[in-house]
Amino acid sequence: MALLDVNRLTVSLTTKTGTLDAVSDLTFSLEPGRTVGLVGESGAGKSMIGRTIAQLLPPGFAVSGGALMFDGEDLVTMAPDRRRALLGRDIAFIPQEPLSALNPVLTIGQQFREHLDHIGKGGAGWKDRAVAEMEAVRLTDPRGLLDRYPHQLSGGMCQRVLIAMAFASRPRLLIADEPTTALDVSVQAQIVRLIAEMQERDGTAVIFITHDLRLAAEICDEVIVLYAGRQAEYGPAEVLFRTPAHPYTRCLELAVPDVAGAPRGLYLLPERMPGLKAIAELTGCRFAGRCPLADARCRAEEPALAEVGAGHVSACWKSFATEAIAPPQAPDRVATGQEKILEAQGLTKSFVTKWRMFRGATLFHALKSADFIVRDAEFVGVVGESGSGKSTLARTLIGLETPTSGALELLGRDITGTDGGTRDWRQAQMQIVFQDPQSALNPRRKVGTIVGQALEVEVPRPAGAEIEARIRQLLSETGLSQEMVARYPSQLSGGQKQRVNIARALCRLPRLLIADEIASGLDVSVQAQLLNLLLRLRAELGFSMLFISHDLAVVRYLCDRVLVMSKGEIVESGATEDVFANPRHPYTRSLLAAVPKGVRQPAMTEAST
Amino acid sequence: MSGPVMKLLLRRLLTLIPTLILVSLLLFCILRMLPVDPAAMSLPPNATNAEIEAMRIEMGLDKPLIQQYGIWFGNIIHGDFGASIHYRTAVSKLVLDTLPATIELALAAMVFATLFGVLGGLWLFYTRGGVVESVLDLGTVALLSIPEFLWGLFFMLLFGVSLDLLPFIGRLGAGVDRPETITGFLLIDSLLAGSPLTFLDAIRHMILPSVALGLSAAPPIMRILRSTLMDVYQEDYIHQARQRGISEGRILIFHALKNAFLPTLSLMGVQFGFLFGGTLLVEIIYSYPGMGNLMVDAIRNADLPIIQTVGLTYCVMVLLISMVVDVLYLVLNPKLREA
Repeated sequence: MALLDVNRLTVSLTTKTGTLDAVSDLTFSLEPGRTVGLVGESGAGKSMIGRTIAQLLPPGFAVSGGALMFDGEDLVTMAPDRRRALLGRDIAFIPQEPLSALNPVLTIGQQFREHLDHIGKGGAGWKDRAVAEMEAVRLTDPRGLLDRYPHQLSGGMCQRVLIAMAFASRPRLLIADEPTTALDVSVQAQIVRLIAEMQERDGTAVIFITHDLRLAAEICDEVIVLYAGRQAEYGPAEVLFRTPAHPYTRCLELAVPDVAGAPRGLYLLPERMPGLKAIAELTGCRFAGRCPLADARCRAEEPALAEVGAGHVSACWKSFATEAIAPPQAPDRVATGQEKILEAQGLTKSFVTKWRMFRGATLFHALKSADFIVRDAEFVGVVGESGSGKSTLARTLIGLETPTSGALELLGRDITGTDGGTRDWRQAQMQIVFQDPQSALNPRRKVGTIVGQALEVEVPRPAGAEIEARIRQLLSETGLSQEMVARYPSQLSGGQKQRVNIARALCRLPRLLIADEIASGLDVSVQAQLLNLLLRLRAELGFSMLFISHDLAVVRYLCDRVLVMSKGEIVESGATEDVFANPRHPYTRSLLAAVPKGVRQPAMTEAST
Repeated sequence: MSGPVMKLLLRRLLTLIPTLILVSLLLFCILRMLPVDPAAMSLPPNATNAEIEAMRIEMGLDKPLIQQYGIWFGNIIHGDFGASIHYRTAVSKLVLDTLPATIELALAAMVFATLFGVLGGLWLFYTRGGVVESVLDLGTVALLSIPEFLWGLFFMLLFGVSLDLLPFIGRLGAGVDRPETITGFLLIDSLLAGSPLTFLDAIRHMILPSVALGLSAAPPIMRILRSTLMDVYQEDYIHQARQRGISEGRILIFHALKNAFLPTLSLMGVQFGFLFGGTLLVEIIYSYPGMGNLMVDAIRNADLPIIQTVGLTYCVMVLLISMVVDVLYLVLNPKLREA
């Protein structure tokens, strides 16, 4: 018998007007020691399964049909005490945000001890047991860690602590909900390998929830692709990745750029996944509205899961017709001009970390002697892990930090000065778009006001009608509908918010745009739209961009040249294709090696930490 | 004590000095604007104008205001707060005699305020989302609008006069032995003197005034504890603790309360500052022989040295309270402890 048996599980939200299904008829089983991946965009219902197992559903949601059996016991009807006894012991969770999943005011030791008490391994000698568990996940100096607080640890270390806690009870089932999404690429690879290794040790079954199809293909035995709460496809990971039967699986894969191989365009999934309300009103296949293969039958009748291969099912009337979905042409490269827009020479930013009398200051070099040029209409990517100095570079360029030394010229004019004139001029020529689209928008201003704000302060102030016209133009250029003018940021989706930020930055048409991780945290289809939007806007408007990102594939797709940063230094730079095809610096090579490529790694052991 | 705590204490003590200079300057100037003549008041009513004038010169009142302030402040630094015009005794002795009573009352009130605040906050949180919550919510708004002296009068009439449950005048009953004054704190002195009856009587006398004070300070504490608990329960670590099978009771006590208590503590610092000022009215109502009664008598007699010194003492106490709260905050918040 399978360890976990999910049979036609349906989870619904009860509202005043009826019930809305968040997960419909989910069926799969999981044997001990196996890994199943749950893949899909946000809102597909991926996280619902973990929440259902723990019976920690959001308010209003409840299981409305089907069965969820863990080792022969019904998890849905189980008494709360029995469930609490299983949770943390037989069923463990690894969360998405390791830093916020640990209590900030309790030490690692206090939290570990609580967990050991809960799983019956507390009492005298708990310290030694905690240290042993932390050694197993290769945390250095675990004894010292016991007295430290979560904020004193890196995200990767916090995740290791949580993995050590999860595996302390030798659980039979592990649910890992996007465990690597908040981490750097190279740390990501280590964490994934570590989970696999612990799984091997304890024979644990794993549900791996991710939005990254390639990562799932690398580490899972089977993959379930979820769309709008329903299984689109379920099958062996490799088969599903190589020869997807469902068009959605294929589209998902084509929506993400590659780090290697021939350049190709990104598949653009139109519109968005239907929300709970829209699903209830749909007839036919839930994906039909966005599917390139959909016909009248798809819109009228909902396809059931049908076997398409050994252990491989797909809910589509046209399974395996996915070959017809071809990747679009690679976008035309715009010839970059020769004019130097931005030139940095020996740009350095140091922070004083400690100041001792007679011994002088201890300096931390966040940015070490950076030299680079951004030319006219050129997109330059900046890649590196967190702490590599990417954000300090952005902050120094836009004047939030004053460089410690070095020269910085924008259009041939020195912009290291802090006087008002330089600042105004710099702002007119250079704009920044921040990572978090939400917090960069004033929640009390309408979209129209936000987008047109830059014109309000212009001297002489343009006429109202002129501002109005510019706002409408910007909205249409960034692919936003005209009704957005009167909306508030809270009424927009993540992708729309980021478009508003771009529209705002482009209002007075700067020569240079600084983009700080603007595509991360977005769903792949939204990300693809955003990347293509940036390329189109460059072709139409002709601006340059410094594109900071931890996602190498996105940088390869978008940028003409790339700067690789490590520990505040630019360790490698050059044309994107050259650097990616022939990385010279070991750091660049290790970054590229850490990117999931959808190929299952045969040896799952961690060579070094 | 750890390094950061010492650092904070040092910094707060350093900022105490300019604050006190500013407050004392303000006090001094305002009191000098009063239409009273300290020289005339310190002489018998039949003194001649020449005698008054001589007294003015002797008291230094003919000198420019800023110089007068300088002399006063210089004396304060040397521990000389001057003599009361009315009682003809050293002001420092009068204040030291009454201060312990006020501190005792204020501390008891703070204990009650914390008790009401935390328990009420937990109750509000526990009933969240229900009908009871709306009722309780309305209740806290009502509580919020009742000042301490109204509670004082109400309790006095209800529990003191009508029900005759508790005493409501002074610090001790008529037939109770007065212990020898060692610290000035009745509770401590009575224990030192080995008289439990006096101790219990002192406590009985403190209940009504301190509950009245505490109750007026509690509602904001309840409300902030409730709302921060709501916020904390949205955090990932609560969800993760539930996923680990930790019981709800333990989540509240071990995980949530410590986090939610931090913002509550900051508010308590502010509330306790107000509370200390509130002792004045409550002391009057209950004829409690503390600094408040001394102050009111001094105002009635236009006894400037007392008013100045008591005013300054209130200010120092409020600053001390906020300092203690800041230190507690630092001790409870590991993130701040590092900086």
